Amino acid sequence: MTAPQPSDPGQQRAGAQQAGEPLLSVRDLVQEFTVRERGGAKAGVVQAVSGVSFDVMPGETLGIVGETGSGKSTLARAILQAPRPKSGSVVFRGAELTRLRGGKLLEARRHMQFVFQDPFGSLDPKWKVRAIVEEPLIAYRVGDRAARRKRVDELLDLVGLEPSRYVKRHPRELSGGQAQRVAIARAVALEPSLLICDEAVSSLDVLIQAQVLNLFERLREELGLSYVFIAHDLALVKQVSDRVTVMYLGKLCEVGPGDSVYRQPLHPYTRALLDSIPSTEPSATRASATIKGEPPSPINPPSGCRFRTRCPRATDLCATDEPVPRELATGHLVACHFPLTEPAPAAAAGNGSAAAQSTAASKAVS
Amino acid sequence: MTDALLQVDDLRVTFPVGGREVRAVDGVSFTVEPGQTLAIIGESGSGKTVCCRAIMGLLPAGTAIRGSARLRGSELLGLSDAELRRHRGSDVAMVFQDPARSLNPTMRAGVQVAEAITTHRKVSKREASTQAVELLRLVRIPAAERRFHEYPHQLSGGMRQRVMIAIALACRPKLLIADEATTALDVTTQAQIMELLLDLQKELDMALIMISHDLGLAASYADEVVVMYAGKIVEQAPATQLFGAGGAVRMRYTRALLDAIPHLDRPAHTQLPIVGGRPPDPTALPPGCSFAPRCQYAEDDCRAKMPTLAEHTPSHRWACWHPCEEGGAA
Amino acid sequence: MAAPLPEVQLATAAPPPLPSLVNARQLRAQRLGRALRLWVPAGIIILILAMCFLLPLVTTLPSSTNGNIIYNNEAPFSPGHWLGTNVQGVDIFSQLVYGGQVAFEVAVSVTAIGIVIGGTLGVVAGYFGGWVDAVLSRVLDVLIAFPALVLALVIAEGLGPSEIHTIWALSVFGIPAVGRITRGATLTIRGLPYMTAARLAGTRSWRMIARHILPNIMPIIVTFSLLGIGVVIILEGALDFLGYGIPAPTASWGNMIANGQQILSAQPEYVLIPSIALLITVASLNMLGDALRERWGTQ
Repeated sequence: MTAPQPSDPGQQRAGAQQAGEPLLSVRDLVQEFTVRERGGAKAGVVQAVSGVSFDVMPGETLGIVGETGSGKSTLARAILQAPRPKSGSVVFRGAELTRLRGGKLLEARRHMQFVFQDPFGSLDPKWKVRAIVEEPLIAYRVGDRAARRKRVDELLDLVGLEPSRYVKRHPRELSGGQAQRVAIARAVALEPSLLICDEAVSSLDVLIQAQVLNLFERLREELGLSYVFIAHDLALVKQVSDRVTVMYLGKLCEVGPGDSVYRQPLHPYTRALLDSIPSTEPSATRASATIKGEPPSPINPPSGCRFRTRCPRATDLCATDEPVPRELATGHLVACHFPLTEPAPAAAAGNGSAAAQSTAASKAVS
Repeated sequence: MTDALLQVDDLRVTFPVGGREVRAVDGVSFTVEPGQTLAIIGESGSGKTVCCRAIMGLLPAGTAIRGSARLRGSELLGLSDAELRRHRGSDVAMVFQDPARSLNPTMRAGVQVAEAITTHRKVSKREASTQAVELLRLVRIPAAERRFHEYPHQLSGGMRQRVMIAIALACRPKLLIADEATTALDVTTQAQIMELLLDLQKELDMALIMISHDLGLAASYADEVVVMYAGKIVEQAPATQLFGAGGAVRMRYTRALLDAIPHLDRPAHTQLPIVGGRPPDPTALPPGCSFAPRCQYAEDDCRAKMPTLAEHTPSHRWACWHPCEEGGAA
Repeated sequence: MAAPLPEVQLATAAPPPLPSLVNARQLRAQRLGRALRLWVPAGIIILILAMCFLLPLVTTLPSSTNGNIIYNNEAPFSPGHWLGTNVQGVDIFSQLVYGGQVAFEVAVSVTAIGIVIGGTLGVVAGYFGGWVDAVLSRVLDVLIAFPALVLALVIAEGLGPSEIHTIWALSVFGIPAVGRITRGATLTIRGLPYMTAARLAGTRSWRMIARHILPNIMPIIVTFSLLGIGVVIILEGALDFLGYGIPAPTASWGNMIANGQQILSAQPEYVLIPSIALLITVASLNMLGDALRERWGTQ
């Protein structure tokens, strides 16, 4: 079921997008930034995103899960070209965003909007709600003043805020949930095709969070939106997404349909994440950490598979060869030499003969 | 009940703000047995943090605190600073949410642990350092001797929290209060820290009060669960009686919380049963049940009269005039 | 172990801070204190400005430059001379009034030039970053390295002392001072999420600067400018005192002090009166600046 695309004049400029083609196509995206010591001296370069590739189909919600240092937020910014990624390709509605500049980039990016984590941080404290929601309409010169006002009222209605009560308020007069709704109203003002939500509900109370999540679902149906939903909470991501991507230290570990990833996790890190989630259905075994050690420093990631230092199944092969994502079930890819479909390698963590055995085993699978 | 470790009776904490009164904690009573894990669950403004700070004597002078909180029979409320210092650290200790701000960034980690030791016991600096290294090992920090000399900014969030725990355990308190101690950590680190805390409980015969907004955390790790809303306890029961097979949540607010948190086995794109509105203004609490304005099952008696917290089934207390049916369904 | 990255904030909403513990009476006292701290210095400044600029329009004051030597050394409260006359018979009150005019003219001009030129440089440098920032920051650095007083000396020597030259010389100090503050404030704002949000909404750079940056840095600029006016008044007074600012017959507070300096032990009031005027003016400006910062900082 492909969601209906809102019509707009920018379609032909953005390049024709055939049915069946992905709305967003990311290939080998790499993003770096320099880390500075206290005092400003350069401490090193972090490759926060190291060659990530995925697609988002129209009408789909892709969830991205990762903990601290996974690079998920950097990935989101890189897709938006804010700042531009170091290398890789981002094709959105048929247009290669990494090669566009200035006005053309603005035009192409019109259909991709962003919702931030901090509802108050993303609203100018000196502006009133009406001006905030109107800003994209003014920037893209949509309609005249009267038409814009009407649209602002419509948008506030859409997100569940009564216009007459809220248009004249400042952000400091709003609660967290209300401020996030204003941010969402602004984000959908231009009828985007894709909404990227970066921890958009993480700073809200549980009950308010549920309200905002329901709003996302309603907008998905009413406006035909696609989402990239980024969070550190796997249960949250799985609940809102069609497909789920798991990231660790800048690399993609696993991607697949939500149910598939949950019931049949293929990557040990996914398994560890699932095991760590404290659930309200406590079985005999409570949430335990099937993961050891601390996250490694992103400046100096481990060689080969980046997860190997904490993986209970790691062997010598994992230190030398970086695993490449391969498809083990329909639409379900994993980047691991010893995915969880197989029994654990004979001697995990460093043993010469075991390495030979496991190489043979992995060759058999691929 | 006299052998309970901590007994809190009708605790009330009010702040005067600009002429009006904020009823932050409005008549809270509970007990903690030795070695027990109690979870206090609530959202912002529920009073859970204020309640425990009152017990620790961490509220600003001039706060109106009434009621009683007795640790092994001796009253903790209304003590002078000197008396509080005696209790803190040796009987009761607290671990906070944000280790980045709770640790002194200019002092080495190990030195801060050693300082905690010398505050309560007369030992030489060298002896304190040795004990500090032992504590760092106790909280499972690898390469403890090396980490002793590191500064907080050189440690990861999980490590820093372990250092905080080491500081809290310096004098083997009988009760540890963890105030949102894992909220700012990754979920895998959270699981490690929670496991550590539970193991330490067994090793040191220590009771633990965990304050959180996360019902899942309570379900997974706590023996007894207390749910707070607008300064009052609205439901209390052993975790097994609330969650999982055979568990039944009765108070409507707890039910709403349970429904609102993401569940792994929920199909994608389900519309969650939502509760509208916002938590009540603590200076103007409604006359009846504080949750009534937001509850879709509220009736007239809910709005008129405050429900009392009573033990309706053995060891399961709740405060609701129209609770959920047995079996957990609405 | 190398410095780890700052961690993404994973927490849910922080619990609301414990409410402050002032009761109603204390609260009223606090509010009163805040209002006083704002309006008392503001009132003093308004009075001084009225005295310097409005009073001469309303009454005729004795000349501030020429005096009848017959009436020299009159004591304060003499008829026709409210504060008496100085050694040459020039009326002191007039000197105070016209000197005050000069002081404010120079200070406001320098500050205005600073805001217009320095502020623009600072905002552009802070907003665009990169090589633009590098170049403009060096320009500001060069200007700030100029010792303002020495420059004033040079200009005065070369072109002769006058009010305009004083303004030029002090602007060399004013422009980079405002420029650096503006640049810093702009950098702070630029990193905030709402700036990224505005960018993503498609807002163009100039509009970003005009509608987002300027309103948010305005409180800082205003506060800083008030303090700056005080500083410039003192600098101008120093220049006049040295003889390199406003030339001698024209009244200025610095000149008054210079003239009174020679007979300081005998007739201290010739130095005291302008000094006290300086003190009250600059102190009030500082207090007003602080009060405004207090008010806007908490908003």
